[in-house]
Amino acid sequence: MLEVHDLQVAYGQARALWGVSFELRGNELLCVVGPNGAGKTTLINTLAGMLRASAGRIVFEGRDITALPPHRFCEAGIAIVPEGRRLFASMSVRENLEIGSLLPGAKAQRAPSMDAVLALFPALQPKLGQAAGELSGGQQQMVAIGRALMARPRLLLLDEPSLGLSPLIVHEMFAAIRRINEQGTAVLLVEQNVAMALRVSQRAYVLEEGRMVADGTPDELMQRDEVRRAYLGV
Amino acid sequence: MSGFTMPSATLLAQSILSGVFVGALYGLLGLGLSLSWGLLRLINLAHFAFAFLAAYLCYQMAQMGVDPLLSLGLIVPLFFAIGAGLHWGMMKFQITPFNSLLVTFGLTGIVEALIQTIWTADFRKLESSYGEHNFKVAGLYVPLPELITLGLAVSLSFVVWAVLRYTDLGKALRASAEDSAVAAAFGINEKRNALLLAGTCSALASIAGVCLALGFTLAPSQIYAWIGVVFAAVMLGGLGRALAPLIAGIVIGVSEAVTMAVTAPSWAPLVSFTLLIAILLFRPGRAA
Amino acid sequence: MAAAVGPREPSRWRIPLAIVALGAALAFVPALGLPAFYDSLLYLILHWIVLATSWNILSGYTGYFSFGHGAFFGAGIYTSATLMSRWDWPFLWTLPVAAAVACVLGVVVGAIVFRVKGIRGEVFALLTLAVTFVLGTIIVNTPIDGGNGVSLAAVAIPKFGPTPSSTFYLLALIAATATLLVAWAIAVSKLGAGLFAIHDDEDAAEVMGVPTYRYKLVALAISCSLAGVAGGIHALFLNYVTVGEVFTITVPLTVVLMSVLGGTRHWAGPAVGAVVITLLLYSFTAADYAVAGKAMIGVILIAAILFMPDGILPRLQRLWQRRRSDRPAPPLARAPLPTVPAHGSAAAVGGVLLQARGLAKSFRGVKALAGVDVEVRRGEILGLLGPNGSGKSTFINVVSGHFLPSGGSVVFEGKELAGRAAHRIASAGISRTYQIPRPFAHQTVLDNVALAAMFGGGINTPAAARREAMSWLVFAGLQDKALDRPDALNLHQRKFLELARALASRPRLVLLDEVLCGLTPSEIDDAVALVRRIRDQGSTVVFVEHVMRAVMALTDRVVVFDHGELLAEGLASEVMQRPEVMRAYLGQADVDSGHA
Repeated sequence: MLEVHDLQVAYGQARALWGVSFELRGNELLCVVGPNGAGKTTLINTLAGMLRASAGRIVFEGRDITALPPHRFCEAGIAIVPEGRRLFASMSVRENLEIGSLLPGAKAQRAPSMDAVLALFPALQPKLGQAAGELSGGQQQMVAIGRALMARPRLLLLDEPSLGLSPLIVHEMFAAIRRINEQGTAVLLVEQNVAMALRVSQRAYVLEEGRMVADGTPDELMQRDEVRRAYLGV
Repeated sequence: MSGFTMPSATLLAQSILSGVFVGALYGLLGLGLSLSWGLLRLINLAHFAFAFLAAYLCYQMAQMGVDPLLSLGLIVPLFFAIGAGLHWGMMKFQITPFNSLLVTFGLTGIVEALIQTIWTADFRKLESSYGEHNFKVAGLYVPLPELITLGLAVSLSFVVWAVLRYTDLGKALRASAEDSAVAAAFGINEKRNALLLAGTCSALASIAGVCLALGFTLAPSQIYAWIGVVFAAVMLGGLGRALAPLIAGIVIGVSEAVTMAVTAPSWAPLVSFTLLIAILLFRPGRAA
Repeated sequence: MAAAVGPREPSRWRIPLAIVALGAALAFVPALGLPAFYDSLLYLILHWIVLATSWNILSGYTGYFSFGHGAFFGAGIYTSATLMSRWDWPFLWTLPVAAAVACVLGVVVGAIVFRVKGIRGEVFALLTLAVTFVLGTIIVNTPIDGGNGVSLAAVAIPKFGPTPSSTFYLLALIAATATLLVAWAIAVSKLGAGLFAIHDDEDAAEVMGVPTYRYKLVALAISCSLAGVAGGIHALFLNYVTVGEVFTITVPLTVVLMSVLGGTRHWAGPAVGAVVITLLLYSFTAADYAVAGKAMIGVILIAAILFMPDGILPRLQRLWQRRRSDRPAPPLARAPLPTVPAHGSAAAVGGVLLQARGLAKSFRGVKALAGVDVEVRRGEILGLLGPNGSGKSTFINVVSGHFLPSGGSVVFEGKELAGRAAHRIASAGISRTYQIPRPFAHQTVLDNVALAAMFGGGINTPAAARREAMSWLVFAGLQDKALDRPDALNLHQRKFLELARALASRPRLVLLDEVLCGLTPSEIDDAVALVRRIRDQGSTVVFVEHVMRAVMALTDRVVVFDHGELLAEGLASEVMQRPEVMRAYLGQADVDSGHA
């Protein structure tokens, strides 16, 4: 589904990614873990078109999308749930969800998509008319995920969805993410909360200082010294 | 000189009414400015010059026998194109919001000179059949040109409000203004939308210009007289809104009119500028 | 221990002497007996030089573009006119009063406006424009003008020169010479350095110790006084003064144009612009193309913004510099570095330097810091750790004064610092770096560091500050880059520039915010060595970091934050093994399986 070859991304003057290569197969739920400053957000934002790669290739469903203008990534079938949610705070929950489905294909399915999102996150039903900025962190995260789902993507990108949320909500969030994946959407999840991430995913990569340093199944990775060293320094 | 005289009830009511009319024009002029500043982050001083250019074009066409309201059919598309073209140039040169103030001021000077070259600095008044109609409603005079202005201002404000509120395009514009990177990630083509919006703002300016021509005497130097008070209306209402400039404009227009009736006309500018200062001091965040 | 002394800078007095000499030479022009037309033209050029240069002192240097210069100029005009026509004051005596009135007006406006956070850029421009119209309306409606204008036909013109017009010329010449001298003096002084810093990054300047409010007010006061004098002279020149001519948008916009064209960052830029524009306008008017003149001005302004956003003068300067084969040499550094002086009760190593108690900060209901107690001991390197969003950067921002705390106290060397202005915290001996370097983009690397030495470190002359700055550049290994602009540096060098800047004020406490992020492994090693040297030469270091091996290598102690609260404290190797810390970083459910 997604192949990334030797991706290099500069962030201002700094080099954030130093030649990252990995692949996401079929409809799997792939995880990228790594400590802060590793480049996880840079990676996700580049895959969504929000940042430009300085070298390397992104191949999605057989098509090289590296050089596409930013607004065409969504069309290609990729939707993002950005770090920190980044909802349109002054707009209502309903409007935020609708923004997800502006493109023709998604727009035709707007009503059933909306129903599906509300089925996934029933707590949003009474909040549809409220301004997105007034919701709690957990509810905002639901809206952000819902917004991305409204685009009917084939690949869903999630950047640190557990950030700033209490453990109980994190649990619900990840359950929802797993359900989404089971319904057929490929998921690329970037997380700092290694435990939750590895519980949910089938495969994972470890990103450290802009490079992939390890990959494998969750069990394999938790035994590895790289992970402990990357996070705890011990 | 600055004595206070209480006018009669009729006079006061008439003043308020004329304040509503002129306020509607403030609102119409402010609509395009507010959208441009709030959603495009560009302060277009040339907005006023465009309005006046449209006014003069309308005047000219009236001299040649074309009905002012019909001339809109030519003027509106023309200024849509001019507005979109100007914005395209701004994007190409990556002009910052502050520099847009300076560039458009330069443009104002050029347009003013152009107007003065073609039409001289003399005052010009458009004489139309509309100006001859003067309704009398409940003892108050309601001139037709002013009524047309009010009608256009209200209807256009509502149309823009509805588009911003209910259509996908409106939502896309608001989303881009708030977080352009994420908006693009959801497929919003910011560049194309910006050109559309810039063209619309100039088209709105041109409609305001035609209203100007219908109700006021034109002179190139008059361009600057409107800048201050319309900015006050825009900032009072908040940027990027559709109905707010109209309401704020009417509030200012009525305050000015009442001030004029009660004291002397030359005190009127004090109202709008003091309001502007007060808003800027207490809520500068609204303008950012 | 003698400080190395470079050669006396010969050019220091060259410029002011040149200005005075030029002024003196031009004083003889009336003796040439040219037609009155020339006197008037020259008067106008000088008049605009005063207006544009005085405007630039606030607006060009700090970036606060004022559209209200017409108000202060007009205040000067009407003060003089009223004094002369109403109370028969002699002309020359009205000038100081005009300056004073304009000055007071400016200070009143500034005192209010500069207090409000968020009034920058376009908002400031519109606000000052509004002041112009308000003042004009008041004047036209009160007996000061009354709508009839003020006639000065009966006032005697002093006899300086052979003709009346030459008198005005000479007065304007004196004013212009004085204005240029003032503009130059400010530009090379500590005040000017502060103003330019405000232009580039006001918040960083404030945190570095620049008293931004006071400096802006001083610049405004000087600017208005000079405009007032110009107004006073112009009142008599015009002979008949009306509100409609003075309180309009024309003066401010012309002044903006002249300065932008000539170059707002240079003291002589506005003068260059004034000469060019006045000559252009005059030639158009004289040839009866006044209208085309207006269009021409518009075209020039647009062209200037598009192609020469810095102005003519800087462009010429760059061309000039490219032709010269030798680059100007940076000053020599002091020989040995003095250690950071100890202070008060915290003088003993290990004594408590900074004590934060119950420190809290909320943003719109979100508790970034939920009441933390942190102790920093003198001479240590303390690590501040925690997952994303745990409050580490907020802690640094609050202690350095970038944010005001919502609650709690910060006691540094026995003094309470919480709630004080950032520049006072800087001069108390605390400095910080930013995670994403924020150098002053328009200044050289050397000047960036010199600013810190001047404002946080209390050195009063730019020359001495530059010598001090040079030492710190040597310390950080950046001496070869001293005269480059920050954008010529790569990330690693910019981070070191941040460090040099933080150190130049000789702080007792240095707060480092994620200095290592984005660096390659070998660069990280360099940085670690540098941080150690910082501590060794006497500063206490607190740093936020994620790169664990650096944390292990450098820190004496660590504190771990989580969700805005203090989670753990102690030796790094010990703390990182604790279950609650592992849980915070790695998440639930793996605490047991995580052991080797």
